[in-house]
Amino acid sequence: MSDMFTEEGVSRRSVLKGTVAGAGALAAGGLVSAGTASSADAAGAKKVSVGSNQSDPAARKNDLAWVAAAKTAGFDVKLNTVDHNTFQNQINSYLQGTPDDIFTWFAGYRMQFFAKKGLATSISDVWKKIAPNFSAGYKNASTGLDGKQYFIPTTWYPWAIMYRKSVFKTAGVDPATIVTWADFINACKTFQSKGITPVALGDKGGWEAMGTFDFINFRTNGFKFHMDLTAGRAKWTDPRVQKTFANWATMFPYQNNNVLDLAWDGAAQLVLQKKAAMQVMGAFHASIYTDPADLADLALFAFPEITPAYGREAVEAPIDGYMLSKHASKNLANAKSLAEFISSDKYGKAVLAVAPTALFANNKMPKPSDPFALSQVNLVNGCKYIAQFFDRDSRPDFAGTIFQSALQKFLGGGDPKAIATDLQQQWDALPPA
Amino acid sequence: MTSSTSTKTAAAEATPRRRRRGHNFTTTDRAVLSGLVGGPTILHILLVWIPALCTVALSFTYWDGIGGLNEIHWVGLKNYQQIFTIYQDFKPAVRNNVLWLGFFAIIATPLGVILAYYIDKELKGTKFFQTAFYLPMVLSLAVTGIVWDYIFRTNGFVNSVMGNTDAQTAVSWFGDPHKNIWIVLIIASWRHIGYVMLLYLAGMKSVDPSLHEAAAIDGATSWYTFRKVIFPSLRPVNVIIIVITVIDSLRAFDLVYIINRGRNGLQLLGVLVYDNIFGEATRIGWGSALATILFALSIIPIMLYLYQTFKKDK
Repeated sequence: MSDMFTEEGVSRRSVLKGTVAGAGALAAGGLVSAGTASSADAAGAKKVSVGSNQSDPAARKNDLAWVAAAKTAGFDVKLNTVDHNTFQNQINSYLQGTPDDIFTWFAGYRMQFFAKKGLATSISDVWKKIAPNFSAGYKNASTGLDGKQYFIPTTWYPWAIMYRKSVFKTAGVDPATIVTWADFINACKTFQSKGITPVALGDKGGWEAMGTFDFINFRTNGFKFHMDLTAGRAKWTDPRVQKTFANWATMFPYQNNNVLDLAWDGAAQLVLQKKAAMQVMGAFHASIYTDPADLADLALFAFPEITPAYGREAVEAPIDGYMLSKHASKNLANAKSLAEFISSDKYGKAVLAVAPTALFANNKMPKPSDPFALSQVNLVNGCKYIAQFFDRDSRPDFAGTIFQSALQKFLGGGDPKAIATDLQQQWDALPPA
Repeated sequence: MTSSTSTKTAAAEATPRRRRRGHNFTTTDRAVLSGLVGGPTILHILLVWIPALCTVALSFTYWDGIGGLNEIHWVGLKNYQQIFTIYQDFKPAVRNNVLWLGFFAIIATPLGVILAYYIDKELKGTKFFQTAFYLPMVLSLAVTGIVWDYIFRTNGFVNSVMGNTDAQTAVSWFGDPHKNIWIVLIIASWRHIGYVMLLYLAGMKSVDPSLHEAAAIDGATSWYTFRKVIFPSLRPVNVIIIVITVIDSLRAFDLVYIINRGRNGLQLLGVLVYDNIFGEATRIGWGSALATILFALSIIPIMLYLYQTFKKDK
């Protein structure tokens, strides 16, 4: 998910930027948005620096909106926005250099990883004050392995099966009737017979198919096994992994043939252009729908059940938010104060004003009025368990290179038994975490 | 004839002068010389050799790039042992690098030389062909990527000609790990041929025309002249082209990274180094071991070749 928003192509320049400029660019090059020049009105304001990976224009608009709101609340926020890919790739050296006080990050293993490495500052005392703003699940998602809190959740989005209502209507398929795997395969057959590719999948970036893997794995083997597997407590050589791969393989006849030549947005285009019926994707699937009429036609339904005992109790819903770097200890009072602001509905309302379909972790925020956003809330409210995403729930050195390559091999027709054995061997060869 | 005589005289004169040279330096000369030679040498050692040796040292460790030197754990040859036995992307990467080298050495580079030979004959339209063949080298990689994507994408030119652009059944040229490397080799050669052609052309323009004349008077055909007279006399250019071919094929990176980030059939050693060291994975030790392997692969053949070549010069 690291490069979700900027996946399409990497220019040589950005590669160079990644290798050379790295931490230097992060520390020096950012964009100053708050009025640092007018020191008069900034006097007495609480100075905090924020590092952001929201370089995508739409996401950057959200940043600017809440930074402006923070200014009225008495903060002098210095926002350093860095290209999304570069930020992700350079995160280690960034956090070890002179990072900003607060930086954008994700809940899950990757948050716990930095907490454990001593690169983050605990904010348990802030959480004592803000706990009423969040349901217990969010507090758990913000807690490190040592039981302290390190993360402020802000927004989230679910993964589900995305489709166009008109396409389903024309083919005579009612999404409400797709509950079991057999229902799903039958629907695929119907679309196939009408000359529409049933499922669009793109995995050129390597991370996109992780969503499908996660769903099939916890639908087949339960949420606990899935989390054990991503964390390395369960083995890839476990026969249950083979069941997951076998179930996934039953989808292959209903997929586009160029899975490994399409990125997520290429596959999403097939759905937008009505050439394909469904895509297993995050709600950001909607971001390629530029025409409001098309957007109104977009809907989602929960990934079908596979093992009846596990039903549809789990969902993939990554949470985005902020962490305090270890560097924040030099500016602790101000940084914690801003963390508190970010957790409040003042932050939420500022962002909501520019991003009406965003979904907030804060329970003081009003329910979304947009029907697509509302369907996302309902989808997650009906679930018992929430997973982040494979690469947020697992070790970065496993998810980033080893697992992505193995998934592509599987999608390319590789032998699942050999792939599972190789995965376990490579996991075992990783240095102790 | 005259030219060769004068060369001989010049050489004869040069020899004693060279012998005397060491004694004629003043203190200032020595200072300037050692500054001019020493400065770059120190920079070279500092910026090239010390980092290279550090990379080799790090290749015997585990390190996730976080924390100080005390976080680095020595593991001996473990990284190498595991890379050679269980790292799934290693074998495809070595295979692709070797394939790349072979393809360049056997097809692309000779083709560039042959093009230079024909263009040097100054036939009609030479300027046009010269520009056309060199053009791929001028285009930025982003443009190259787009152009070839239009040709080989699922609903692109090639599939349209073949009559099947259906998402579910058409050939996926870039997505199929058994096909995509060949497409990439075609694209890479498309760029490389023009480059070699231009270098060689420049060399051929500098060949003394009297050599052509002499060969023609002796009754040699133009192709025979090229093989037996021009080609051997261009040895310095040949060395450069061989070194460029080897280096370009071993350090190949950007093209595959643009196409699919160098995965799924397009693995290359350079990509593996980058992914492991600079990505979020940051397996510094593992990536350094890969870099050391790549370093050894690049430097050994080139050193052997240069040694062979310059030994004959003495």
